[in-house]
Amino acid sequence: MTIESKVGKLSDIKKIIKNGDKVAIGGSWLGSHPMAIIREIIRQKIKNLTAITVVGSIDIDLLIGAGCLSRLMFSFVSMEAFGLAPNFRRAIEKEGLPYDEITGLAVIIGLEAGGRNVPFLPYRGPFGSDLVKYRPEFYKEIKCPFTGEKLIAAAAIVPDVAIIHATRADHAGTVQIEGTSGTDVEMMRAARKRIVSVEEIVSTEEIMKYKEKTKIPKFQVDMVIEAPLGAHPCSCAPDYVFDPWHIMKYMQAASSPETFKQYLGEYVMKPEFEYLEAIGGMKQATILRRLAREVTFL
Amino acid sequence: MTQYAKDYTVGELMCVTLAREIEDGDVIVLGSFTPLAYASYILAKITHAPNSTLLAYAAVDFRPFQLSFTRAEAAATRGASLMWTMLEDLNSVHLKGRGDVEAISSIQADQYGNINLSVIGEYDKPMLRGPGGAGAPEVIKMHRKMLGYFPSHTPRTFVPKVDVITGTRYVIGAKERIKSGYRPGPIRYITNLAVIAKEEKEKPFKIESLHPGVTAQQVVENTGFELEVPKKIPETEKPTAVQVKLLRKTVDPYGTIEFDFKPGKERLLYLNDILQKELKSIGYA
Repeated sequence: MTIESKVGKLSDIKKIIKNGDKVAIGGSWLGSHPMAIIREIIRQKIKNLTAITVVGSIDIDLLIGAGCLSRLMFSFVSMEAFGLAPNFRRAIEKEGLPYDEITGLAVIIGLEAGGRNVPFLPYRGPFGSDLVKYRPEFYKEIKCPFTGEKLIAAAAIVPDVAIIHATRADHAGTVQIEGTSGTDVEMMRAARKRIVSVEEIVSTEEIMKYKEKTKIPKFQVDMVIEAPLGAHPCSCAPDYVFDPWHIMKYMQAASSPETFKQYLGEYVMKPEFEYLEAIGGMKQATILRRLAREVTFL
Repeated sequence: MTQYAKDYTVGELMCVTLAREIEDGDVIVLGSFTPLAYASYILAKITHAPNSTLLAYAAVDFRPFQLSFTRAEAAATRGASLMWTMLEDLNSVHLKGRGDVEAISSIQADQYGNINLSVIGEYDKPMLRGPGGAGAPEVIKMHRKMLGYFPSHTPRTFVPKVDVITGTRYVIGAKERIKSGYRPGPIRYITNLAVIAKEEKEKPFKIESLHPGVTAQQVVENTGFELEVPKKIPETEKPTAVQVKLLRKTVDPYGTIEFDFKPGKERLLYLNDILQKELKSIGYA
């Protein structure tokens, strides 16, 4: 018997992600979003997706700007210190993109319910929040069957596909995450299909050496894609920091639909290796890695 | 005798005021990257609160680090004692009320302890779509203290009622909080003008202290809801010379905490400047 390899190329994602899918996107804030996969979704013109994010940033903004989303579920989308996400704002304020704004805890607990194969999980949720009122399909006030206490039921979230970016994996799909795991593990447990891009594919022996870094077992992974710097312009801690120079360029470009179109042409609608050249190649990669390495403890 | 700093910025004053809210042993969740709050916690950790536990990104109980614009996540990760997924974080800290502090900011805040990070205007036809609340709408209820920091104290921020309640303290007052299974603690907002706080549901926010040079009248005029104005209001304790020196030389040598106080266009220039310094620190530029 041979060991099955799940290694694929970026262009293979269309075997898993289909038009109209609900796609959970890993990473959080400006960290570890699966940006190489996001760019490939745009290149392959996969459309009408519902994106699910807990704390999104440029991943969501790019997909919206490129017209890939027909709905969005989020608790937070922001470019953090760089400002509000331009395409996200424009799509909601001007174009009426439908969305479900759910508190961060309810998204995480909803994903956990999805992973546990139950329709909801109860917690002491956001009583008094208008979001509960606006989205009854995701929140219900319930009574504890034992004590009668008032609780909030967070509806299960079951994505069609989860996509994440991680530190390394082996050919079989055992995934190690050294940095910010966010809700990646919960998304992979809840989703029907899963794709992980990694900085590096290594041997199973390498994985076994540092087994405590393993966060996701191979049976929760359908495809592994090697994509070095695959989170760029986001960080992949602790290997490299987010690229503030590129994000500033992005913010400028995304300020209008016309300049954003140019951005897509210049950076996204070309093979991934050309993207890495366009953002400054080895020199830029070295800077981002050195910044991540040279930290000072007090 | 404590020696107070003669020269400090309003950002440094707010930062130190927030740091003084931290008690030794606190469990502190850092949330989204906001330099002012990060600097406060790190300052507290290296001075009066060495036994506090800091959590940021996936990093738990990390060593305090020198703040920069790009490296907070890498530093927290490298210096962590433990790495958690968000669910492990919720299960261990948030849901059982083990968190003490997670300072928040908000587009609007009102007299009831509600915050709005969602939209300005109508929910379905917003004038401004905000970022959303991430953990904020729930941690302000779950954690012991609800702390907010607001670099711009205006009637546009402090409104009688928020346009949308993204989240709320919900249970206010010690007795009520204990009865509902939450630890008691105040709502306290640190702004560029003053410190205002609410401890009881039926009572309005009270001006607790005024920053040096600010009058009660100014605070009242810049707040869109009723405030309790005591006859005698203390001055906000100034940063000490040691605290300012630590901030400038040790915790935040790149000056990231000033970032929130720069107006629109200046912000990018200021950021470029910080990034140049960061490049220089690793031998580039």
